[in-house]
Amino acid sequence: MSGTAGITYEGYGLSRSPSGWTGYTARRPWNQVRFNFTPTFRFGKDFSLPFNFNFAAVPTNFAGPYAGIKNQNFGQFITNPVNSFGLNPKYKWAELQLGTQYLKYSDLSTGDIGIFGAGVDLRPKTWRFKFFTGISQEGVNYFAGPPTVTGAYKRKNWMVQVGNELEGKYLFAVNLAKGKDVPASASPPPTTIKPQEGVVISVLGNVYVDKIYFKGEAAQSTFTKDVTTPTTTLLRGLKPFIEPHTSSLTDFAGQLSLGRKSTNFDIGLMLKYIGAGFQTTGYPYLQPDRFDYTLNTRFNAWKNKAGGYKMNVVASAGRRVNNLKNTALKANQFIANLNWYTQFDDHWSLNINYNNFGFQSASGTNPYGIKNVSNDLGVNPTFTWTGTKIMHLVSLSYNYSKYDERDVMTGLTTSNNTHTALLTYVPTYLTKDLSPDFSVLYFYNDVPLAKVKLFTVSSALNTNVAKKKIRLRGQLQYTLGKLNAFSNNNNLIASCNIDYKITKKLSWNTFLTTNYYKYGNEITPVGANYLESMCRTGFQYSFDTKR
Amino acid sequence: MKKIILTILSICFLFTATAQIISNLVLMAKPPAQLSEWGSRREVLTLILNGQGVPVTQFKIKAEIKTTDGTVVGSVDLARAAVLTGNQAGGPTILFASDVLPLEYMNFTGKYKSALQKTGKLPADNYTLCTRPVRPADYAPLGEEQCKPFYLASLQLPILMKPYNEELLDPKKAQTAILFRWSPVVPAQTSPVTYRIQVFEVLNNQSPVQALRSNQPLLDKELLAVTQYIWQPQLTFVNEKSKFIWTIQSLDKDQKPINQTDGNGEGRSEPIVFFIGTSTKHD
Repeated sequence: MSGTAGITYEGYGLSRSPSGWTGYTARRPWNQVRFNFTPTFRFGKDFSLPFNFNFAAVPTNFAGPYAGIKNQNFGQFITNPVNSFGLNPKYKWAELQLGTQYLKYSDLSTGDIGIFGAGVDLRPKTWRFKFFTGISQEGVNYFAGPPTVTGAYKRKNWMVQVGNELEGKYLFAVNLAKGKDVPASASPPPTTIKPQEGVVISVLGNVYVDKIYFKGEAAQSTFTKDVTTPTTTLLRGLKPFIEPHTSSLTDFAGQLSLGRKSTNFDIGLMLKYIGAGFQTTGYPYLQPDRFDYTLNTRFNAWKNKAGGYKMNVVASAGRRVNNLKNTALKANQFIANLNWYTQFDDHWSLNINYNNFGFQSASGTNPYGIKNVSNDLGVNPTFTWTGTKIMHLVSLSYNYSKYDERDVMTGLTTSNNTHTALLTYVPTYLTKDLSPDFSVLYFYNDVPLAKVKLFTVSSALNTNVAKKKIRLRGQLQYTLGKLNAFSNNNNLIASCNIDYKITKKLSWNTFLTTNYYKYGNEITPVGANYLESMCRTGFQYSFDTKR
Repeated sequence: MKKIILTILSICFLFTATAQIISNLVLMAKPPAQLSEWGSRREVLTLILNGQGVPVTQFKIKAEIKTTDGTVVGSVDLARAAVLTGNQAGGPTILFASDVLPLEYMNFTGKYKSALQKTGKLPADNYTLCTRPVRPADYAPLGEEQCKPFYLASLQLPILMKPYNEELLDPKKAQTAILFRWSPVVPAQTSPVTYRIQVFEVLNNQSPVQALRSNQPLLDKELLAVTQYIWQPQLTFVNEKSKFIWTIQSLDKDQKPINQTDGNGEGRSEPIVFFIGTSTKHD
């Protein structure tokens, strides 16, 4: 038997002053208890029984189908994404999947949602057969609030994959994933969404030859946005898996990536097309109507004496075009990233990074189009030297960030400039179990009508005590902030980690933090401040009965 | 006497049959791009028929969607369209989009048909909707044609720009401030859009989207008509590498999610993940 089991308590406190001021809101549950139980039982070499139970006492949903829910019934508790109850008994090539499963069949079929149900994953020789069915969300009644409960329809899901795979050589598979809402499952029903139904079929092929890889997937979806709309014969869709309605869409998606990977040089090309009407219940936040192409590379250069490399470069450049079906206004995005690291010698190293993201589109009836361009450049030299007792590290980091935004009415571009400078000193004691660090940071943001300055000093200390049974880490951070000509903001954060290894298998981990923030006179009431604290403490037990 | 009665009845019948139905078409200037949504939202289209004191009997509505040059791109198939019955009390008859533009009985042409089947929308453009009540038997006009222009362009939710997907942020810098940037809603809206920015911590045993759908956000802030936010997290990032997922929810002037029938129905942009830590290895 191996794995872990544990219980963690989180307590949160927020005190605001003056009394009645609500300018800062709680950002954690007041009390939360989390349980985890993830042992794997092994019986002989062929049979294993892994558990994956993770659940919380208090629902904390702010987005998605359970947003706002406070009182759950049993079905909602079981299917709430904050909780997982999974059991996967496996005998040789046959796996039974029970309870909550987050199954990713492919990038275009299903993969982002957890489903509570039952299924199998069978892998005899090179064959692959997967099937799973269950419920991804229970019906949740709409409630105007406060707090508002968005509401959701109960959604049933089915998915199947049939394929052939030789690991490291190839994979060919056909996927089918379906989700269907139950219209009568919420009363009152949600106000922002209708009961839906969607099916996607995809064909997947991956081939690996030496250092070269080729991966491709093509998919078609039929998605009904409102199953209460009349059925239609004008759209064929993916019959017989779904009956088209007047609100049904059927569209395609595809992706292709190919490249070469080796120890010192990688290069790859990725193409992704998502049709405007492509939608799948397996990826609820997938952005449709786009074509992306990206070129990635990574290489090492400049050999050192030890035979390694002094220089490492990771770069990518790509473009995304929206609105391929012309149902919206065309938008173009250019995305480029570069990270260039050089270790000149035993003392000096330099890291340079650059990021560009440009967005351009017409803006409808306005005289000027939308154009937002974000540019970031960072330079980070580091110097290290070793004394008799201490190894020293001094690092300076400077980052310049520029954000240009065009006004669609006047055509004028406003620039938003941000400068960040950080100086860090880390002495590492060679003869003591002590690791402190010190840093100073200056942040300046300049945009018309607003100038923000932040000055931070922080220090942390790591050490082990009680014969290394207890690991301690403490940190203090003070930030002085200033907005325009208003008086200063003050922020003090103190935190502490205590990790106590009670026995070889049992540990007690505690994290305490407190945060005090006092505003300047930029807000009313003048002198507003808050103190928030958090305590997280929990026991973890490691199972390990291996002989 | 019999002849006189017959003559009067004939005149009455003729008057009723040929009586001009006065119609008044009310259509939103910028209706939802998703045509199937028109039927479920009564405020999109209203057609008021008035028989001028004479009850409106049975009729069908001939409806056509035209481009600005007059080309008909979609029309109701009158042979299959439902026969409608007017207000027998003599008052006005009020019809909505589901009666006037029943998608299940409409024919679209060429690229418009293809776009509608794939996306549920027509290509972004200016259009005109023309309606006219007709007699069910021979489609003879029962009143004047009413036309109203409208503009269709579907909304595009913001695209998250910074932190970019899987960006690794320095914990010392991130503890002081993190810059968030996103593109605006396209096309530009007549009333300012409220952008609700949310940042969720991804716990050890969670997938990113699971964290988004289950955790309380560490940052949940509504911002009016701006596309950048400087977050002072006031958090201590002690782990070697912490994972976060962030998204933008776009809200209209009534604080309701815009673009409700597209995608997730929450008006939330595709979320992306970023890391805070020192490790260069991604999970």
